Amino acid sequence: MKLLLPTLLILAQATAWADGGMVQMRQETGDLIITVFTSPTPLSVGPVDLSLLLQNRNGLDPVLDAIVSLALVHADSNIEFHASPSREQARNKLLYAAPVIFSRPGKWRMSVTVRRKEKEVVAAGTLDVAPSFGRELSLAGFLAFPPVMIVLFVLRERLLRRRSRRGA
Amino acid sequence: MDPIATAVLGSWTLNWGTLCLLLVIAALYLRGWLHLHAELPHKYTTEKLVSFAGGLFVIVLALDSPVDAFGALLLQAHMIQHLLLIAVAPPLLLLGQPVLPLMRGLPRWIFKDALGPFLGSRELQQVGRAIVHPVVTWLALSSAIVVWHFPRLYELALRSPGWHQAEHACFFWAAMLFWWPVIDVWPSHSVWPRGAMIPYLLLAGMVNMGLSAILSFSSHVLYPSYALAPRLWGISAIEDQAAAGGIMWVPGSIAMLIPAAILGMQALETRRVRPGAVILRRLTPRPPRQWDLLRTPLLGPVLRYRHFRRSIQVAMFLLAAVVAFDGFFGPQVAPMNLAGVLPWTHWRGLAVIALLMAGNLFCMACPFTLPRDLARKFVTPRFRWPNGLRSKWIAAGLLAVYLWAYEAFALWDSPSATAWIIVGYFVAAFAVDTVFKGASFCKYVCPIGQFHFVHSLISPLQVAVREPAVCGSCKTHDCIRGNSRQRGCETQLFQPMKLGNFDCTFCLDCVQACPKHNVGILQATPGKSLFEDHASSGIGRLSRRPDVAALVLILVFGAFLNAAGMTEPVMMWMHRWHARLGSMLPVVTAMYVAGLLIIPVTLAAVCGWISRRVAPQSWKDLTCSFTPALVPVGFAMWLAHFSNHFFAGWSTVIPAVARFFSRSSLINYPAPSWIPSLELCFLDLGLLLTLYATWRVARRLSTGDGRALAAMSPWAVLAGALYLAGVWIVFQPMQMRGMMMH
Repeated sequence: MKLLLPTLLILAQATAWADGGMVQMRQETGDLIITVFTSPTPLSVGPVDLSLLLQNRNGLDPVLDAIVSLALVHADSNIEFHASPSREQARNKLLYAAPVIFSRPGKWRMSVTVRRKEKEVVAAGTLDVAPSFGRELSLAGFLAFPPVMIVLFVLRERLLRRRSRRGA
Repeated sequence: MDPIATAVLGSWTLNWGTLCLLLVIAALYLRGWLHLHAELPHKYTTEKLVSFAGGLFVIVLALDSPVDAFGALLLQAHMIQHLLLIAVAPPLLLLGQPVLPLMRGLPRWIFKDALGPFLGSRELQQVGRAIVHPVVTWLALSSAIVVWHFPRLYELALRSPGWHQAEHACFFWAAMLFWWPVIDVWPSHSVWPRGAMIPYLLLAGMVNMGLSAILSFSSHVLYPSYALAPRLWGISAIEDQAAAGGIMWVPGSIAMLIPAAILGMQALETRRVRPGAVILRRLTPRPPRQWDLLRTPLLGPVLRYRHFRRSIQVAMFLLAAVVAFDGFFGPQVAPMNLAGVLPWTHWRGLAVIALLMAGNLFCMACPFTLPRDLARKFVTPRFRWPNGLRSKWIAAGLLAVYLWAYEAFALWDSPSATAWIIVGYFVAAFAVDTVFKGASFCKYVCPIGQFHFVHSLISPLQVAVREPAVCGSCKTHDCIRGNSRQRGCETQLFQPMKLGNFDCTFCLDCVQACPKHNVGILQATPGKSLFEDHASSGIGRLSRRPDVAALVLILVFGAFLNAAGMTEPVMMWMHRWHARLGSMLPVVTAMYVAGLLIIPVTLAAVCGWISRRVAPQSWKDLTCSFTPALVPVGFAMWLAHFSNHFFAGWSTVIPAVARFFSRSSLINYPAPSWIPSLELCFLDLGLLLTLYATWRVARRLSTGDGRALAAMSPWAVLAGALYLAGVWIVFQPMQMRGMMMH
């Protein structure tokens, strides 16, 4: 119990990633409008939540019955990986999302394939991935926690000493 | 239902960190409310409980529901989220008059020792009064709302999850302050007459109205992210913005007008009595009562069952037999073999988590002592363990050898070697304990036991006496001597004089033996034994035990060495030396001789020598006194390391078990992204507990704060250096050895 509360307080700092985020690409292909988002922003090396919104051109209704696949190729090294965004993995259930990891900075060629009702459409674009901002930065709260607690402890000791002096 | 509506309503994602925090707050409030409701039922009513719970629910609704999921696409959804955080959750929480229930709900030591000095400080009370002054609270919320709606800041929050959380935190806490004087939350004293809260609310409503008018009537989209976002259901960005303005205007104004109307009506009624004043007078101190695991409704009877321990030992014995069999006869590919997966990924992880959450549960379920217990039904050991060997030196040496062998022979990668270790363990326990009386193997030989004994010093539970006065009248001392039905403590711990968990195997023999049922599994202050140097039965004072200091140093430095061995830079360094020398054995040996012997002993001696300059004891005594304080930071590293393997690789058991039963399976779940956060969390807590223990040891040994600070300084620096080494390890690319997760 004594460790539970501080543990939870620290864990609650952990940044939750949401799908959606910054619009990286928007294309009208076939009878679909495909919008690609990435989170967090700016897009950088490391784990990224990549999500897509598919809409009908007519009426802009979200399309929920498609099968989406994604291919990403690093322009310089030709490193390639694939992902299968799905609504199950998305927080916003109108989106198709997949967690991906960008291993290198630079331009990544992205190809989105959408299969629906025996039709297939492909959209292509480029993502600019910045160098890593460092995991250290995202976990800075954890590194700051001990100094904060030490300062509070010193303050507590001073208050106790002052109180005992007053009592004496 | 329409699939789109289903998708919208299904867009919930529970953020477990926030949810757990809210659940803990709810539990604390409930605990305090139950006390207060029993004492003052007319003041702490069910309505207050419902209101507080409702406030917490609204926070979940704002942060985890579709409102949040759609906030990035629709400004109106984002506006609803902000309204919930500003105008609904805070007043509901404050209507629950939460201060007193939360304080009463806190564990006594937090309230008294940690918060007490702050709550009693006049200066901080003055600061508190200033913060809840109506002028300050009004300005806090109004400025928060205005500033965060500047397009540049709003955009920043939309683009960065961190800033988005900061924005929400700012709104929520500013609103908590804003509603504080309106609801007149105890213990603050309202400096303004209640009637003054009516213009206070109306003026805030006007600020809200001004902003909503800008949103509603603006001819262009104020926040570019919404202009770029795909439009859902044909709602244009400008229409969305106008709707958001409307939401801010109408419900936002209603949130101010309703309390203003209620306050107006209250002003016409008779003067009411403030709850706080009555409550303070009538509060009675709680009698100290220790929580006892053996008295819990469901688990208690199971744990008290006479054959409980034997049952779990048999289960573990069968599991060990299966693992050893697979290790000998299964494929020698660690990730596909039960001996390559269960002991190194699952058992180690579960054992350290059990130490953190409860106590020494591994020794409780230890299968190695089962054969010797059976043998003792036929053979009675004749000898006592030699006096000269009654220390931890043998066990410390074996532990160091084990850690070296783990790295030198890549034990994690060799199912047959793992199986040999398991068999060897059974043989050793059997051989020692059929010759020598008591639990000589556990107490003086077993390296795994020492790992658990040392680290259970910071566990939250301990086997201890319930009522010391009952033991005062005891003449038989069954807890240590045993009786015709039940043996006594085999590690020679006499319950009335036992302090902490050191050498306690959680076998519960004393619980079964005590004829007065006066031994329980009670809650303990984690780490207390590390700094309160009282003589404990069967152990003496830890500060007089150089063998224990050596054991602690091996465990602490071993934690960092063992974890560093799986990081990429250290592995690359080892491979370079391997290439130069042609063999890995001298590299690992040199590394472990330096890391487990030369460096720890030198550093501890230097720290003891520096402390000696300000403390009257010899450097050896100081070293033995301060060294146990390093246990938390070392345990934090073991915990970070083993929990990393466990949480990242828990699913590796699936293909191994499937293969054992001749089925195929390729299920392997990805490692959760929160593991580094958890590891850093463990390291933070380990460092803080080590620093606290060091401070308490220094206060015990020195006179005056200045001298105590000087005495603890070298140990604090050492703990800080170990912590930084741990942080470095967490940030390194890891080789998930033996887990098929490279």
